[in-house]
Amino acid sequence: MIADEATLARLAALAQRGDRQAYAAMLGACRSWLLRYYRRKVHPEAIEDLVQDTLLSVHRKLASYDPARPLIPWLAAIARYRFVDHLRIAYRAAADGVLDDDETIVEDAEQAVIARLSLDRLFEALPQAQCRAIELVRIEGLSISEAAESTGQSESLVKVNIHRGLKRLAALIERA
Amino acid sequence: MADDPDDLIARLVADLRPVAPLRQRDGMGLAVLALALGAVLVAGALGLRHDLMAGRPDPLVLTAAGLFLVLALASAWAAVDMARPAVGIRRDGWGWTALMAAVLPGAALAVMATDALAGQPAGPDRGGWACLVLGSGVGLLTAVALVFWLRRGAPGSPERAGWLTGVAAGAAGIFAVSLWCPHDSILHIGVWHAATVAVMGLLGRLVLPKLLRW
Repeated sequence: MIADEATLARLAALAQRGDRQAYAAMLGACRSWLLRYYRRKVHPEAIEDLVQDTLLSVHRKLASYDPARPLIPWLAAIARYRFVDHLRIAYRAAADGVLDDDETIVEDAEQAVIARLSLDRLFEALPQAQCRAIELVRIEGLSISEAAESTGQSESLVKVNIHRGLKRLAALIERA
Repeated sequence: MADDPDDLIARLVADLRPVAPLRQRDGMGLAVLALALGAVLVAGALGLRHDLMAGRPDPLVLTAAGLFLVLALASAWAAVDMARPAVGIRRDGWGWTALMAAVLPGAALAVMATDALAGQPAGPDRGGWACLVLGSGVGLLTAVALVFWLRRGAPGSPERAGWLTGVAAGAAGIFAVSLWCPHDSILHIGVWHAATVAVMGLLGRLVLPKLLRW
């Protein structure tokens, strides 16, 4: 059961003053909220890692919570940051291809796959034409004209589909 | 690989120490202190404009300095608030102030265009580089103060926070330099002083995100 907003805000304010019991209750409630939040956005395999990363950020950045404001918008902002950061790091690692040792290669490849699965989950919410345009141009690196040829869309339609699709993806990521 | 969730929560709870919530007024106090320090440094090292010393400030210089001061405060306010993230909070008030300050380069462009149409093309003075460099240097004080504050917090968008920090730093720096700068033409102020804000904003956007990630 998730505590109501006023209770959560009170628990967080107590936690800032060092109340461990309140902090444990707050983290438990945050964890439940985060599980639901990420379930809508990422592949099941990535959820637990992201929830734990976010809880660590909550712990490190506890001072950034303003007790005069509700807690959930603060938690949602931290969760959104961690989610976007997770995608950014995974794709950069996969794109760079400069990796130190076998263990890192396996771990980064795994991250990239999970990030890809996370994106696939988001892509499900997009119309097929927008999804295809973004995939070809922004992920596979094709030019607009090559993407137009491959999809049968006009070049201007490819551009419009990328623009609308990215806007919709951003809205999905930012939705609390 | 994730830890056992209960173990993680137990470790975090055991590690809890009381923390003082970040307060907007503390962050703004820091930013204003840096801005004031810059102004005092410029006035102390280079002196004040003659019209300021005489107590009869030039109206254009006074208006422009006021606009840059308000822009510095508005963008510093937005940057400081970014240390306390929350979904759904709008921090776009500084944009209107930036638009107001953009009247200065707009007016400079209009003057240059009308001069050119009248067959007397005139450009900004070349000595304006000194204002740009000095304003950027003095603005670094504000930039350092804001980066210090933001690193204590959790800015949801390091790119936006970097941009806002740069704009605040540029506007604060050029406000301080306005107290000394001997020029009082719209071409100088609208080009070189406004360029300081734009350059610092761009630098903030390009350089600071790496420092502001958490």
